[in-house]
Amino acid sequence: MPSRAEVRSRVELACRGAALLALGALVWRAWHPPLSPALVLRVPRTADLPTALSAALFSTPTGVEATLDSVPGAAVRAWLFALSRSGSVVSWRAAATLGASSATVEPLPEPSGRVRLTIVGAPGTSASVHDAAGIVDSAKLGTTGVRVLDATLNGTVRVNLSGAAVTTAPRDSLRLRSVLVLARAGWEGKFAVAALEESGWRVDARLTVAPNAVVEQGTLLGLDTARYSAAVALDETAAALAPALIRFARSGGGVIIAPAAARIPALATLLPARLGDTLPAVLGALASESPRRGLPAVALRPTSRDAVVLERRSGAAVTVASRVALGRVLLVGFEDTWRWRMEGSDASPAEHRAWWSGLVSSVAYAPSGRRAVVPNVDEAPYAALVAAVGTAAASAFASPPPLQREWWDRILFALLLAGLLAEWSSRRLRGAK
Amino acid sequence: MNEFVFATAQYESGDWDSAPLLPVNLIDSIARYTQLPVSPTGAIVPLGSSDAMRYPLLYLTGHLPVRFTSQERATLTRYLDRGGMLFVDDHNHDVDGMFHKTVTDELEQVAGKLSKVPTAHELYSAFFTFDDGPPNTSHELNGWGDNLIHPYLMAATRGTRISVLYSNKDYSSEWNFHPDNKRFYSVDNTRFGVNIVVYALTR
Repeated sequence: MPSRAEVRSRVELACRGAALLALGALVWRAWHPPLSPALVLRVPRTADLPTALSAALFSTPTGVEATLDSVPGAAVRAWLFALSRSGSVVSWRAAATLGASSATVEPLPEPSGRVRLTIVGAPGTSASVHDAAGIVDSAKLGTTGVRVLDATLNGTVRVNLSGAAVTTAPRDSLRLRSVLVLARAGWEGKFAVAALEESGWRVDARLTVAPNAVVEQGTLLGLDTARYSAAVALDETAAALAPALIRFARSGGGVIIAPAAARIPALATLLPARLGDTLPAVLGALASESPRRGLPAVALRPTSRDAVVLERRSGAAVTVASRVALGRVLLVGFEDTWRWRMEGSDASPAEHRAWWSGLVSSVAYAPSGRRAVVPNVDEAPYAALVAAVGTAAASAFASPPPLQREWWDRILFALLLAGLLAEWSSRRLRGAK
Repeated sequence: MNEFVFATAQYESGDWDSAPLLPVNLIDSIARYTQLPVSPTGAIVPLGSSDAMRYPLLYLTGHLPVRFTSQERATLTRYLDRGGMLFVDDHNHDVDGMFHKTVTDELEQVAGKLSKVPTAHELYSAFFTFDDGPPNTSHELNGWGDNLIHPYLMAATRGTRISVLYSNKDYSSEWNFHPDNKRFYSVDNTRFGVNIVVYALTR
């Protein structure tokens, strides 16, 4: 059995050996750097991504494993995409609910300049809408995960959904032309023209007083899509222009036809429905929440296969639309709509205006043109993330992070020092040199 | 079919019914010269009633002082805001008369300042053409009333549209006769009334 002095001597020898081995390893590592260093960036949250990627600016990591609590912005996504294309393995997983989201803005064919903002996200997600002037709207997405907002929005629109900031802006603008109203001089024509003008439409009108007496408003030109977006035929006085109305609709124009005009035989080929029974006005309904029930109407029976019923009353169709070649035709069963404006509630003038403007908007010919300057937007950040670096990892990142190269150097150096110090201390304590 | 109904405004003060034959005379002219569907009988509608909203053109006249009730003012304000047009004629033909002084004061409170209607206004060419502005009446030419010939009408506007048309020419006397008697006229003196109706129906 070895004596204590021999054991101590062997321990000292082991310490010296370990120190020498550590020194040798350090020297070897100094002269033999790894050909492909296993530098994997692990980022625990989205906010840390820019810093982590900045740190790896001069040494390309072999991999990036990111846990995202929100969709990174376009610059970070571009960085990840560049890394993935330069050989790094980029993978990510979503913390909490990180759903697809998008927002788009389209101009509406109406003179007010309003746009339609469509927001798509996870059902129940909170969304707030901002434009250049400030916050516009905030709401939760319904069970469908879609919210549509028609509003006047200035500049780039930002939608903050939980987990994503989406930006969008209109890419197109619509060119609206005038509206032509054909009617006999009377309250219906007068107030239809007034409603459209007050909504911002340029209106030409041809109001017949007598066979040789027509009150014209505006410069009446040929009825074609170069001049008019839509034509409104309110009664039988439109018969003189029936062939032109048909040509106009077939070439892309929008035509709105009231029941009295629908009785013109020459317009029969345009009609999406036949006239049916008369629906009497409901007494007192003009000032109610359903004011159009207070208007007399004619029930419509759709005839063409592609006819779409837009409004019903007591089960009967009262507004029917269909396509005719390139254009659209809207048959409206309501009569004497001016009564709504004059006899309705305080809101009725605005409602009457909006209704007439909406009818024209729904059929108006409005060719679009690309805007000269489209701001840089991020309309579908989640889709862009998937397009850049692929879909999310199925599960959490399993392997623990390997010690990086510098950590190994520190450990070896500590081992070297500890070995030398232990060996040196032991020798000095027993009196040896 | 939606017929045009000529409506006379009935107000609480004064004598609103001082020209009872005027409506039927104008209805006759509209039927005679145009193809507009027109109701053979006129209507009398209280100015303070919401029924006034059923008639977007109202005729108002009288000789006596006019003071609208608060209800009449409120209804008339709403009526004009929604697109109705009020035609007021001074049956006294007298700018010093009480009707003129009181009704213009009331109208300016409700509709804003009354301004001269230029002779080139579309009112004078809406159907018949009157190059010299409003046609003179025999009452003006005979020196009755204020002994003046008024060369223009007054109006309050909403945008470019006349909402209140005011006349000192006493058309209420000029047109207040049975339509059968038009045969005695070489030129029908109610033709300007057709212009007022056509203007109201088209502007």
